[in-house]
Amino acid sequence: MMSAQLKDVIIKPDAPSSLLLDKHADYIAAYGSKKDDYEYTLSEYLRMSGVYWGLTVMDLMDQLQRMNRQEIIDFIKACQHECGGISASIGHDPHLLYTLSAVQILCLYDSLDAIDVDKVVEYVKGLQQDDGSFAGDKWGEIDTRFSFCAVATLALLGKMDTINVDKAVEFVLSCMNFDGGFGCRPGSESHAGQIYCCTGFLSLTGQLHQLNADLLGWWLCERQLPSGGLNGRPEKLPDVCYSWWVLASLKIIGRIHWIDKAKLQRFILACQDEETGGFADRPGDMVDPFHTLFGVAGLSLLGDEAIKPVNPVLCMPEDVLQRVGLQPDLLS
Amino acid sequence: MAESKEEVDVLVQRVVKDISIALKRHPNIDEIGLIQCPEARYNRSPIVLVENKLGVESWCVKFMLPYVHNKLLLYRQRKHWLDREALVDITCTLLLLNPDFTTAWNVRKELLECGALNPERDLYLSKLALTKFPKSPETWIHRRWVLQHILRQFSAVAHKTQQRVEAEQPDAERSQFLGSHLDRLIHQEMKVCSDAACRYPSNYNAWSHRIWVLQHMAKGNIKVFRDELSSVHPWVSMHVSDHSGFHYRQFLLKELLNTELSQSLSSDSASTVFCPSQHQSNTVHSTCPQANGELSLADAACRDRLTTVFKLFYQETELCADLIQSFPGHETLWSHRRHVYYLWHHWRQDQDLCTDGRENELKPTCINEPDGSQGRSVNRHKHVSVPMEVDRVSLPDHDSKRLRRGILLPNLLTLQNEHTFVNSILNSCCNAEQNNYAVAYKKWLDTVISAQSLDI
Ligand SMILES: [Zn+2]
Repeated sequence: MMSAQLKDVIIKPDAPSSLLLDKHADYIAAYGSKKDDYEYTLSEYLRMSGVYWGLTVMDLMDQLQRMNRQEIIDFIKACQHECGGISASIGHDPHLLYTLSAVQILCLYDSLDAIDVDKVVEYVKGLQQDDGSFAGDKWGEIDTRFSFCAVATLALLGKMDTINVDKAVEFVLSCMNFDGGFGCRPGSESHAGQIYCCTGFLSLTGQLHQLNADLLGWWLCERQLPSGGLNGRPEKLPDVCYSWWVLASLKIIGRIHWIDKAKLQRFILACQDEETGGFADRPGDMVDPFHTLFGVAGLSLLGDEAIKPVNPVLCMPEDVLQRVGLQPDLLS
Repeated sequence: MAESKEEVDVLVQRVVKDISIALKRHPNIDEIGLIQCPEARYNRSPIVLVENKLGVESWCVKFMLPYVHNKLLLYRQRKHWLDREALVDITCTLLLLNPDFTTAWNVRKELLECGALNPERDLYLSKLALTKFPKSPETWIHRRWVLQHILRQFSAVAHKTQQRVEAEQPDAERSQFLGSHLDRLIHQEMKVCSDAACRYPSNYNAWSHRIWVLQHMAKGNIKVFRDELSSVHPWVSMHVSDHSGFHYRQFLLKELLNTELSQSLSSDSASTVFCPSQHQSNTVHSTCPQANGELSLADAACRDRLTTVFKLFYQETELCADLIQSFPGHETLWSHRRHVYYLWHHWRQDQDLCTDGRENELKPTCINEPDGSQGRSVNRHKHVSVPMEVDRVSLPDHDSKRLRRGILLPNLLTLQNEHTFVNSILNSCCNAEQNNYAVAYKKWLDTVISAQSLDI
């Protein structure tokens, strides 16, 4: 008989156990300066989201002033297209993913007037399909992630009433599975990232009561492994970004106390790189801005007071959302 | 070594051409990869073909990628003109190196739309990209777009055929051609999906693409669904940690169940696969003749369908039990068990199937018709211990509305049976993980399933 090896990591005794905020701020501040790096070219197709990750984590650490505000706003302006949609970078095609990231960045900078907001609204509205779902761009791919992007963008712009919300909700609910989770389309497997998008979507549309919160909470809690880290699906390795998606979903449905918070905190802290700053997906791996944001945001949700409170639905500082006047629902 | 801008230009253009020529001359290339080779070898192309594998020597990638990347972006900003052939070649190289570069796929979509590119070529290119990047979301997205493009072409052709039929010039050959072309396409997609699933465990994008293909290209085609269920059987047995593979089986089971149900209510040519005694009525209920208790064809058809559904679930439960015992401690397998039991449980509830009141007793359970009648079981006290000997009963020739279509089911797939299974695992198990999963399954049965049972 073969015995399964539990898919998890071991946290070494000498792994970092305290938060190295200054190192992380230095890491992010330096990241954008290596622009002709090969890796930088490779990831240009998602640049706008990359900028959102970097700026949000800087703001959560109260270091936003170290970033070049004007350069970033000009960059976003140059990425808005005729159709109103925003692309990942200059010369790339517009997409809902990057439209949301751009709007989030402009909210951090309180500069929504830098772009043509009415055209953004038209763009988002134009991507809604007859069944209520949203295409990511004009080529028509459907995914519950795009439903989230659409309503999150419109909520930040205060324009939710421009789309057919009832139909949008109907589509997202049609992606709910027997385990209380959600997949990318009807019939697809439950996945922590998709669950985050769908619970966030239901929060922004005021429909959290449609969830089976106990059942979903059960599935989410089963993502916690002995190391304390959370995975995104059964028998996957724990990961800082999945830790955020699961934790934020639990927060939205009012079940965050169902997991072992201290163990999760220990796991996230162990994913820091003491030399370079930044967080990796797992202890000892290479750091990147993506996992750095979700590491810091996760610690904020767990109550770390050195970090600004983060909003679980939009992954933005709460003070920014107060300024925007947006308070997404949470279950208690 | 090429370092100056001019040298890089010449080098990259040569390599882009080499790749494009290689793909044209060798349509059987089935894999791409990077050959670790830090230094250029004098006067030799960095593109290497070994058997059916296309390799790119690693030293040239750091020149190539920024070059083709920037060239395409300049074109996109209308700062640099490229003709169609150059666009095809450049995007090809670019996407083999960086397949998540969405805009490059979009350029190819435009070329496809204006007829400058054959859709089959993009199915081929994306297939190659997936051999090196089996998760690449943008590659899967592009594939779906190309498939829809082809489907639209099909329906345009079918429409023309239809018009000709109306003009009394039937073109059966043509629609047959479309049918076999569609079959071939579906088959090819399944192959691409299973290759990608082998290359990366729990490959969400590959398995959700496979589901998409069934939903969009094989809707209602019960034969395809059944074939899929048998074809992934050996695969999941060898990949017991792959939750996505097992979820795919859950999807298939659910679809087969729904198809069975809908076909019990309406006639459909596809139902011949399941039910040779096909009935012509619109609804079974309205036409089930009661007279003399004779089993009508429709009754027989329904009974066969119920038997089929039961077999599906029985076999899946057995597969799952086997795997749980042979490979202890896999969360995937326990999760699969939950889902299969949940589907079965709900199917029975939806059917308003009665059991004999208490499942605890060793009595055959009975499926009655979904008319809400409080049926007693057709309790013939047959031996029910032999697995898969699902009774094909001949109903008593008196009575009865509530007995018609009733079939005897062995006492399997009951809540009691699930508890027996868990207890046997708990009693015999010395693996801590297995123990935890078994306890969690028991708790799930006690809370989720029991709570839902109270609902009805
Ligand atoms: Zn991650």
